[in-house]
Amino acid sequence: MIDAPDFSFAALSPLLLVLGAACIGVLVEAFAPRDVRHPVQVGLALTGTVGAFVATLLLAGTREVTAGGALAVDGPTLFLQATIAGLGALSILLFAERSLDPARSAFVVSAAVPAGSPRDRELVTTQRVQTEVYPLALFAIGGMLLFVAANDLLVMFVALEVLSLPLYLISGMARRRRLLSQEAAVKYFLLGAFASAFFLYGLALVYGATGSVRLRDIREAVTAESGGVLMVLGLGLLVVGLLFKASVAPFHSWTPDVYQGAPTPVTAFMAACTKVAAFGAILRLLYVAFGAAEWTWRPLIYAAAIISMIVGAVLGLTQTDLKRMLAYSSVAHAGFLLTGVIGFGAGGDGSGLAATMFYLVTYGLTTLGAFAVLTLVRDGDGEAGHLSQWAGLGARSPLTAAVMSLFLLALAGIPLTAGFTGKFAVFRAAIEQGAWPLAVVALLASAVAAFFYLRVIVLMYFSDPVADGPTVGVPGLPTTIVLAVTATATLALGILPGAVLDLAGRAAIFVG
Amino acid sequence: MTPETAGVVIGTGEAVIFWILGPVALAGALGMVLSRNAVHSALWLVLTMLSLGVFYVVQEAPFLGAVQVIVYTGAIMILFLFVLMLVGRDSSDSVVETLRGQRVAALALGAGFAALVGAGIARATQDLPVLGLEQVQGGVGGPSSGNVEAVAGLLYTRYLLAFEVTGALLIVAAVGALLLTHVEREPGSRQTQKELSRARFLTDRPQTLPGPGVHARATSVAAPALLPDGRLAEDSFATGIEPEQVEQMPRPTGREQLGSPDAALGSLDPTLSDTPGGRTGGEHR
Repeated sequence: MIDAPDFSFAALSPLLLVLGAACIGVLVEAFAPRDVRHPVQVGLALTGTVGAFVATLLLAGTREVTAGGALAVDGPTLFLQATIAGLGALSILLFAERSLDPARSAFVVSAAVPAGSPRDRELVTTQRVQTEVYPLALFAIGGMLLFVAANDLLVMFVALEVLSLPLYLISGMARRRRLLSQEAAVKYFLLGAFASAFFLYGLALVYGATGSVRLRDIREAVTAESGGVLMVLGLGLLVVGLLFKASVAPFHSWTPDVYQGAPTPVTAFMAACTKVAAFGAILRLLYVAFGAAEWTWRPLIYAAAIISMIVGAVLGLTQTDLKRMLAYSSVAHAGFLLTGVIGFGAGGDGSGLAATMFYLVTYGLTTLGAFAVLTLVRDGDGEAGHLSQWAGLGARSPLTAAVMSLFLLALAGIPLTAGFTGKFAVFRAAIEQGAWPLAVVALLASAVAAFFYLRVIVLMYFSDPVADGPTVGVPGLPTTIVLAVTATATLALGILPGAVLDLAGRAAIFVG
Repeated sequence: MTPETAGVVIGTGEAVIFWILGPVALAGALGMVLSRNAVHSALWLVLTMLSLGVFYVVQEAPFLGAVQVIVYTGAIMILFLFVLMLVGRDSSDSVVETLRGQRVAALALGAGFAALVGAGIARATQDLPVLGLEQVQGGVGGPSSGNVEAVAGLLYTRYLLAFEVTGALLIVAAVGALLLTHVEREPGSRQTQKELSRARFLTDRPQTLPGPGVHARATSVAAPALLPDGRLAEDSFATGIEPEQVEQMPRPTGREQLGSPDAALGSLDPTLSDTPGGRTGGEHR
């Protein structure tokens, strides 16, 4: 006789809300008439994500292991779940924007129609949208919520797939420059499948070495015999799989192409939410399961952080496309985040965990805002991504230029913005743990990276507008909400970060 | 057997099976990588997977063995072949290197990685005692229950969440497949048989289009049909295929060569006949 394990439905509620909304969304696709689908899907997606956000707030303070030990609902889980659900809701708003593009959406009418075919040209002007993006985005968010809560390598792997598959799909659904978008989707899919295989192989080896996939059992096995060759190999492969998702160099090669090719709202979603989820999993894996075997992964993460910061900052300098530039910026920021991961002491001491979580919030909000501004500046061919087209934007549209400058300053880490507070927190955590060489490299990399952010600001304010430059669209309500929230938060977290820092500090205890 | 004497002797049968099927599995893997034809690759892979399935069964894991055969060899390989046939089994990858030296670097790094992992695993597992299923299996029903019951017990207790979330994965896969292949028809855009028929009779050509030309020297659909005067019949061109130039039988044209209709038939003058020793003129006059 098999006894079913206990499920705490309260602790699972954020996950159930999002995945439930996603399943209803699939049914809506099947049964609702075409004209009502878009509003219904948007409403459903917002209900799911905002509901999950509220649920995590109500759950604050919960510390339990549920679902037969497969799920750990603790401070970091809830903090990161709230971040993912909140950023996810904002991304859904960006998805729902209908007044910027003359064709009324950033998403394709029908993904199955071959790009460039007569039928495709015919459909460009219709106002229909492939509304499956909303349930797919919800599935991705559900996967991310599970990913940061997984207390079991097997659940972590399934969550990794649940969050990845929808992302591969929706990256290929841009309405304009469809071939570029489809190429991005194929690249992301192939490299992502490769990374998943690494993760799975690592999982098998760790299971072989420790006899369990439960993080707690792995820790006990690691503590008892301090691991062997098999465990180290397995850990290495697991980390490779996770660093790929977090787009840490040298596993970042997909990032620029996918960020550039995917529809901009999807890029914003990937840049903000995927990073939070990936780092949540990295932190949990390294500290809950392998905290006792720090010597195995600390050098690895140390090296990856340095490579990532340098690659992101230096290659970011050479970019002429804003989306690619933000992609390399995302690689550099992954390096800064790893600095915070290093700054977490083995015994759970040190402020590394809280600092990393705070950094994830600030980076997510800022990068989401930056991509939202990118969707506003357009020319006849869609978004005007080339740097030269942004020349003199400050004169043409002062408000847009000012908001973009705020986000760029925050990404560069200039004081009084959220980016500065976040960077300060992770660097301090690293120095406290004695990783000052890493902090020095991080400071130098920040200085280099600041150059390419400031270059855009200089270009916007101090050069003459180009003759046939892009137009700045008037955003509809959804994008306006996103811009207002992200800009306010970027400023507020820069000036008065205390409340959120405290919250992150109080949440920063793993249960395992 | 007591735990103190841990260690099961590997039976002769198991050893024999291993030494026979091991090389077979390896040959299948190599054949899969090395064969040029994609269908052959897939079939080599079937060989490897079947061998692995037998290994699992021999190692007291009948469930895993059955899953290996049913899921991998059955479902996934059929899917592979299906896709290969859809794409066209003749289509091959371009062998042009877009990044110079990429292939050599990939080979070197891949071999290095394989050596690293292989050596690591070999070192970690070289002196492991063989325990047998009963020693390692916990789970429902105690150690003496079979492998299948144990897997079922774990699936519905310990890994229930993973099992359930896999459902979400399957939904995503189904929606994704539909998304990438299903073109939704405009409502009301589908014509009835009657409307189609009416529309056809309003055109200049209510009858069916001519088929491709099947000459004595061509069997391809790309060969165009010929009109009575020898021109190509453009209606017979297959959609999306360039009409192919087909070498025609020598065809006498013009008064000078043809002369009278009898001459055109080759039955007037023996000298015009191209059949040596064949039909000769005046016999049937």
